[in-house]
Amino acid sequence: MENANDYILEVKDICKYFPGVKALDHVSLSVPRGVVYGIVGENGAGKSTLMKILSGVYEKDEGTVIFNGETIEHTTPIQALERGLSIIYQEFNLVNTMTVGENIFLGRFSLNHGMRGTHKKARELLDSIGSSINTNSLVGDLSASEMQMVEIAKALSFDSKLIIMDEPSSSLTSEELKKLGIIINQLRDRGVSVIYISHKLDEIFEYCNIVAIMRDGCVIDVKPVEELTRGEMIAKMVGRTIENEYPPRAHFVGEPLLEVKNLNTRKLHNISFTLHKGEILGLVGLVGAGRTEIIRAVYGADKVKGHETLLEGKPVRVSSPKQAKKAGMALVPEDRKREGLILPFSVQNNITLASLSDLTHHGVVDSSKEREIAERQIEALGIKTPSPDTKVVSLSGGNQQKCIVGRWMERDPKILIMDEPTRGIDVGAKYEIYVLMNKIVEEGGAIIMISSELPEVLNMSNRVLTICDGRITGEFNPEEASATEIMDKAIG
Amino acid sequence: MSANVSINKVWKVISKQKAVIAIFAMMIFMIFPQTTFYTAYNWLDMLRSTAILEIVAFGVTVAVLCGGCDLSVGGTLCLGGILAVMIVNNGYPIWLAFVVALLSGAVVGFINGFLVVHQKTEPFIITLGMGMLLKGICQQLTDAHPITCTSLDFMQISNRKFFGSIPSLVVYMAILFVIFFCLLRFTSYGRNCYAIGGNYEVAKYSGIKVVPIKWSAFVISGVTATLAGVLLASRMNTGSSVYGDSTGMLVNCGCVIGGTSFAGGVGGVVESFIGLLVIQMLTNCMNQLGIDSYYQTLFEGILIVLIIAGDCYGRKLKRERV
Repeated sequence: MENANDYILEVKDICKYFPGVKALDHVSLSVPRGVVYGIVGENGAGKSTLMKILSGVYEKDEGTVIFNGETIEHTTPIQALERGLSIIYQEFNLVNTMTVGENIFLGRFSLNHGMRGTHKKARELLDSIGSSINTNSLVGDLSASEMQMVEIAKALSFDSKLIIMDEPSSSLTSEELKKLGIIINQLRDRGVSVIYISHKLDEIFEYCNIVAIMRDGCVIDVKPVEELTRGEMIAKMVGRTIENEYPPRAHFVGEPLLEVKNLNTRKLHNISFTLHKGEILGLVGLVGAGRTEIIRAVYGADKVKGHETLLEGKPVRVSSPKQAKKAGMALVPEDRKREGLILPFSVQNNITLASLSDLTHHGVVDSSKEREIAERQIEALGIKTPSPDTKVVSLSGGNQQKCIVGRWMERDPKILIMDEPTRGIDVGAKYEIYVLMNKIVEEGGAIIMISSELPEVLNMSNRVLTICDGRITGEFNPEEASATEIMDKAIG
Repeated sequence: MSANVSINKVWKVISKQKAVIAIFAMMIFMIFPQTTFYTAYNWLDMLRSTAILEIVAFGVTVAVLCGGCDLSVGGTLCLGGILAVMIVNNGYPIWLAFVVALLSGAVVGFINGFLVVHQKTEPFIITLGMGMLLKGICQQLTDAHPITCTSLDFMQISNRKFFGSIPSLVVYMAILFVIFFCLLRFTSYGRNCYAIGGNYEVAKYSGIKVVPIKWSAFVISGVTATLAGVLLASRMNTGSSVYGDSTGMLVNCGCVIGGTSFAGGVGGVVESFIGLLVIQMLTNCMNQLGIDSYYQTLFEGILIVLIIAGDCYGRKLKRERV
């Protein structure tokens, strides 16, 4: 090997300034060839900014980047790809209406002399990572993990020497995650380096060789993963020690509050369950098992006929979100940006969205009352925002999530349905959300929680239902059951 | 110091809307040549000329805010005017003419709403088609000839002046402006419109009656279009199927120029008002300077392209800074 070429990527003293903020402060990293390099840090620590500089989305203000032995002054996303650096973002960059093969070689069909060659080459790439996806199927029909395979194949088609994965696991179930782990190991064996960015520390420990911990735009520490413990890592990420990742479990379970009987759709079969007062009910299952469909049906977002819903023993009809709201239900959906927030709106307007009819006299919104509500929720939930009039887009993920929770808290919901309540939220904010959940059940509410993070379900809920292929396959007391038992039922 | 801060703030607001900059640019430019631009008469005339389009735009703004758009307003306006003239010519009272015309607008809006909200068709195409359909109806109704109104009272509606010199159309426009401003700014209906346009799913999950509200936005758009049509017929003393040919495009375009987003959820009547005023002011300036009408279309096109491109460029800069 040539000298000083043991590193695929060297970053020295990179600085990046945004108006009023120093997003990166003299960041230096060296990524050796053929390793999996983890980067962890809270939201806003600067991970994404650094990746965007590497891929050429942003320009750096100071510092040097040496990639594959070549000092890079200025780059664009396409140049970065051609040099062999590709990024797989959390939201996939795929065209849903085109086929797998077309996506892998998008814009480079001539490379393989036409479509037949393209599909053939795509097949080879997919085979090389052990994936059996048909190259002629539409990307829109694929599951999240299959899309990820396509992204990886696409990266390999550029002969990438470094693949950056930004939160690759956020849309994967634990089964799919295992597959990803295998592929990452394969990539490493081939000599490809992987930068693995994740909030989920288990994955970091499982996959990574070296971990860099970032906080407030600085690299706090770089260590081989064996030399770190989970607690140390968290302490370094948040800059303080968190004794527990989870608050003590709440124990307030009372009488039945919501009973759902015989829920049947094309995807769901005989779903019946009971939610009690003061209970956190966890729903566990693979993505696509029907978890989200269940809560959408319960909330009236999808029109479903034939099932029976009893609220405090009395039958109610919930065929629209409006009726659900009236019955005292609230939904914190999975996808904050698409289903949870109105992005052009301010924090205040997002918070008061669901209670607007209560502060309206003859159709006119009482603006002082509206302000009062917004300020009350901002204070109660500890939402960090410069003012209630700040646009909600500029808040961090955790604070955005609190805005959605605040919207419903104002209505004192009896039943709060939370779909992946802590997705994409950093460790500190997660804890605050958990505390909030406990507070809700303490006050006599009940929560249905869907989560792909098993530790979260095990530590937060009072009861766990496993769902597989649209059926409830098991019921567990998480204090007694082990993660493997639960996963066993969820996989079916 | 504080003056400095407030100037900065004003500049920030203004620079977001390139249309406002265009207005100021024209006003500054018109100081130099010897024209009658800076006379109260000219300004009132300018407002009067744009009043019909502005009134249409107020209604269309509601539909656009909800994430729709309404290109049928040209045909709707035409229909309203013709119906009103026909009714008055047959000796019925003027109030009945208004009622029938506005009802026809409501029906058109209801059908648009049904197709867009209930049947989930693409609003751009469906309302464009609806506009053509209405145009066809208007041609059948009038045999493609203009019909002159025989009632002097009807003609008076849009041609009289209030307070000595203020054209009645300007007053009507001002009243409607205030009504729509308050509707969108202070009522829960208005807020829900913004929410629906901002994110339909979120609005639905929050228990907002998304379907009836978005549907009603099209009804409002239809009603204001026919109202404008009646006022136009009164102004010209004629109902004709040639009116409103460019209205649909111009009004929707004006909304966007002013800063009301076609994606929905952003903007308002102030923005739409400014958007259409820019176009009218340019026409006025060019008339004042005696520019050939063939060049006028060219300059109008240039202005529209520049403003939209400038706004988009500004937004792009802002996105990249975040």
